[in-house]
Amino acid sequence: MPTLKINGQDVTVEKGTTIIRAAEQFGISIPHYCYHPGLSIAGNCRMCLVEVEKMPKPQISCHIQCQDGMVVQTESEKVKKLRQHVLEFLLVNHPLDCPVCDQAGECRLQDYYMEHGLYDSRVNENKVKKTAKAKPIGPTIMLDSERCILCSRCVRFTDEITKTGEFGIFNRGDRSEIGVGKELNNKYSGNVADICPVGALTDRDFRFKCRVWYLQKTESVCPGCARGCNITIEANLERPQHGGGERVMRLKPRFNDQVNDWWMCDEGRYGYKSIDHSRIDQPLIRLDGAVRSVTWDELTEQFIKAFKKLKIKEEVGILVSAQLTNEELYLTKRFFAKDLGVERIHLMRNYPDGYQDDLLLRADKHPNRKGAEWIGFTENDKETKALLNELAQLKGLIIFGQDIVSLFPNQNLADAISHLSFSAFIGSNHNQTSELVQYVLPAASYAEKNGTFTNFEGRVQRIRKALPALGESKAESEILMMLADKLHLDWTYQHEEDVFNGLSRSVSQFQGLNYKKIGSQGIQVS
Amino acid sequence: MEKLISRFFDLPSSLSAYKKEGGYDVAKRALEMKPAEIEEEVKRSNLRGLGGAGFGCGIKWSFVPRNTGKPIYLVVNADEGEPGTFKDKYILTHVPHLLLEGIIIASWAVGIHKAYIYIRGEYELPYLRLKSALDEAYQNGLLGKRILGSSFDLDVVIHRGAGAYICGEETGLLESLEGKKGFPRLKPPFPAVVGLFGCPTVINNVETLSYLPFIVNRGGEWFAKLGTEKNGGMRLFSVSGHVKNPGVYELPMGITLREIIYHHTGGIRGGKKLKAVVPGGLSAAILTESELDVKMDFDSLKAVGSMGGSGGVIVMDETTSMVDALRITMQFYAHESCGQCTPCREGTGWIYRILGRIVRGKGRLEDLNQMLDIGNYLGGTTICALADGAQMAFLSYLKKFRGEFEQFIRDGVPKETYAHA
Amino acid sequence: MNDSVITPEIRKIADQICSNYPVKRAAALPVMRLIQERYGAISAEAELEIAEYFNLPPVDIRELMTFYTLFYSKPKGKCHIQICRTLSCALRGSEAFIHYLETKLGIQAGQTTPDNQFSLDYVECLGACEIAPMAQINKEFVGPLTKEKLMQVLKQNYVGITD
Repeated sequence: MPTLKINGQDVTVEKGTTIIRAAEQFGISIPHYCYHPGLSIAGNCRMCLVEVEKMPKPQISCHIQCQDGMVVQTESEKVKKLRQHVLEFLLVNHPLDCPVCDQAGECRLQDYYMEHGLYDSRVNENKVKKTAKAKPIGPTIMLDSERCILCSRCVRFTDEITKTGEFGIFNRGDRSEIGVGKELNNKYSGNVADICPVGALTDRDFRFKCRVWYLQKTESVCPGCARGCNITIEANLERPQHGGGERVMRLKPRFNDQVNDWWMCDEGRYGYKSIDHSRIDQPLIRLDGAVRSVTWDELTEQFIKAFKKLKIKEEVGILVSAQLTNEELYLTKRFFAKDLGVERIHLMRNYPDGYQDDLLLRADKHPNRKGAEWIGFTENDKETKALLNELAQLKGLIIFGQDIVSLFPNQNLADAISHLSFSAFIGSNHNQTSELVQYVLPAASYAEKNGTFTNFEGRVQRIRKALPALGESKAESEILMMLADKLHLDWTYQHEEDVFNGLSRSVSQFQGLNYKKIGSQGIQVS
Repeated sequence: MEKLISRFFDLPSSLSAYKKEGGYDVAKRALEMKPAEIEEEVKRSNLRGLGGAGFGCGIKWSFVPRNTGKPIYLVVNADEGEPGTFKDKYILTHVPHLLLEGIIIASWAVGIHKAYIYIRGEYELPYLRLKSALDEAYQNGLLGKRILGSSFDLDVVIHRGAGAYICGEETGLLESLEGKKGFPRLKPPFPAVVGLFGCPTVINNVETLSYLPFIVNRGGEWFAKLGTEKNGGMRLFSVSGHVKNPGVYELPMGITLREIIYHHTGGIRGGKKLKAVVPGGLSAAILTESELDVKMDFDSLKAVGSMGGSGGVIVMDETTSMVDALRITMQFYAHESCGQCTPCREGTGWIYRILGRIVRGKGRLEDLNQMLDIGNYLGGTTICALADGAQMAFLSYLKKFRGEFEQFIRDGVPKETYAHA
Repeated sequence: MNDSVITPEIRKIADQICSNYPVKRAAALPVMRLIQERYGAISAEAELEIAEYFNLPPVDIRELMTFYTLFYSKPKGKCHIQICRTLSCALRGSEAFIHYLETKLGIQAGQTTPDNQFSLDYVECLGACEIAPMAQINKEFVGPLTKEKLMQVLKQNYVGITD
């Protein structure tokens, strides 16, 4: 374990640690462009140069490994001047695009200029022209090769992470230009906009939607599959005139070295539209062919009234979803199974299995199947089939978001549903099934509530409320609490954290856990 | 003065002609010596890399780990891209067998069984002669299995470049040899340990290897005495520019620049006055009349702020516009920069465009200090030494001819620049 | 795959070249030169076939095409004149020759005459400074250049060029 001095401070690190990582570990940040902890070392930007005693030239801290007795200076006058000049070189041919560039506000040229530059430009020559200005290089990414600083992060990403090799750097010298062969079309293409330190590669979906300094960022977890990639939900809440009426502007991956490293898949990244589109935002009652929008009070009254008329054990079926949080599944079990005595509660999928690979994507497109299993809901195809076949015999069915009419197109479920004496849909988005049932209870999306998901490896992770629930929609846990209230059940939960604490006392896998322990990176339950 | 390599330039390049001069006898003897003996002899000779870096040849060999289990490769740098340099071309064209003999000696000394000769893509005749020599060598048991009656196997492959100065940089060469763009690699690790295909590799210049037969034949001590204290032997100086007789001149390391120009190459053409000289390839700092008595070995040239480099001597007489000469020089670096590192990529192009503006008559006096500041940050900050070379050349022009630059900016293009057709 | 550029005969030679290296990719430059010498240039189609031959993403071959100056996407004219413009040749008047040729041929450096007879390029140091100012004309190094020598070359390749 070598011990070295960085800026006069003694630090001891693992053998093989580079200077930049050692500095990071001790709270010293060294500016850099091409260095990325998830990619190989390129060492070409020269921004991370530091002074190392006894070495004749400044060294790049991303490559040089710490040795015993090394003395490193990261803030000396010489280093500061070096950074200033590297910045100046980078800006020589860089277009003055800030007013029209999406990267503004999260751009390393801007940020480092404010921190390390602050010089007056002295470029009196024409800038070198590159060929790609606002050129879409695939369905998700826009290329502006003039802005590119040739750090080669995108090249290394497509070579080393996705192994699809789309990017290349053409020509030599200051005519060097980034480009793709055919097009950038892999399932992780959105990540290149994240890692591009400048506005050369930008997200087409986010293009011109909103300035980043207007975004409110909340930590959460992607609900797109069982991996549970850590994300940040970035929303524009205070300026509805931007963003075309949507609140969520984009999702970004959040680093978690146990789940998704620095990446997320495109399916998850661009799958946020359902938060703001096709939402069911009013409680609805559909009887005798007429749909009425009602208050929650009326709906829960009517719901309970109608429900009580049924023979609970024989006539009622409930489809729970692996999209529900642990808290919601726990309450569902408590309310329907324990307090109301429903026996036929089935976990049914909302989506068929999809694409899976060795990187992040999982075939199971539900975020909380493991959690559901731990709480006592395991999907059983035979039971599901049986339930759907007997739909005619059932009197009452409650569906937690599944679009069974679309999922099973050959079973004429539309007809069966319309013949039920009691049908309810608790979900966030309109689908074919929600348009047929009697009681439509609008649920909040995952971005509008707190809770936890358990990923396929048994990692419990927190989602956090990023937005107020749209319209009249409410988190499923809140809905269940309202229903419980109507039945005068003695529930004392104030909010989701209370529910989780209750859950952790009754379900063995969650024992000893609480929100604080789960924190931002989740906890692996062995 | 005895000629070693250049003696062969007037003889046919065939194997039979070479053999008549005792060709391959030394290699045969070397194969009977212990490899460590040869390395010692080379160290004793003070033979230093004649491609440009001037690093001790024997010392470089000693950095190669011999028991990694991986094959050790020899890469012969025949890229000869440093402007003003053409001596390797002469060896390849006129006495390629000397190079092959040197390759055999080096390979035996380090334990190498596969050598690649990376020859620049533009060389046609030198390539044909080299190829012919290679074929002859294989046909005559000088290369291949159990060469020269020994139990030593050695294969040599010629690999042609495709037009990039940066592929003369040793790690840029390795990248190009591996089928990629010639992007120099980060060091450490050094090629001696992790080189071609990840294996320990020795990279030597054509001329360096060509002196090996002489060293093994007559001893390292003899070779060292021909030169200066720490820089043994002779070297092939490529002299061009405004001299009467441009060409290749084999002279001892201790020769002075003045002697080369005035005693050996006929002095300045048309009896004109000397203005400036590039002593060691384009990347070497220029020297002026008062500095001509410098000895041409690596250490002496370093002591005066320049470098021995590739031994390319470019002479400029009084008709030369230093402003234009610098523009041409920076145009070269801007064109050849591979583009990896920020300072080199942007800096060479930037300085070149400023010079272009000055030459078109739109320069301002502030441009000079600005260029000096930019130039100061070109070198010492990059992956390879291209920017260092650009920096050294650039600063030397501005520092030694500042007055001319200022006058040019004030008064415009001078009446006479170069000789015109 | 029906290779139209890499014919079975060329493939055989390429395979032989590859056998010189422990890693196939190392033969990229020699194989590309082989294709270019056969066809005069490396077309877009050839690039794809070469990429497939080496099992590389096509963008890697495009990179090599744009990085190295000796690879051409379009064939050069019958007489390819490459004039050196670096210091030793510039000191001996190369720039004047470049202008002279541009005028005589009616093209700029980097272009080919419409009848495909001449291509003109300027290049950096060719390692022939002892015959400065010089040019590479097809495969030959020619120098020291004089107006007469150049005219001789032009006339050899193009009937009708006048002094």
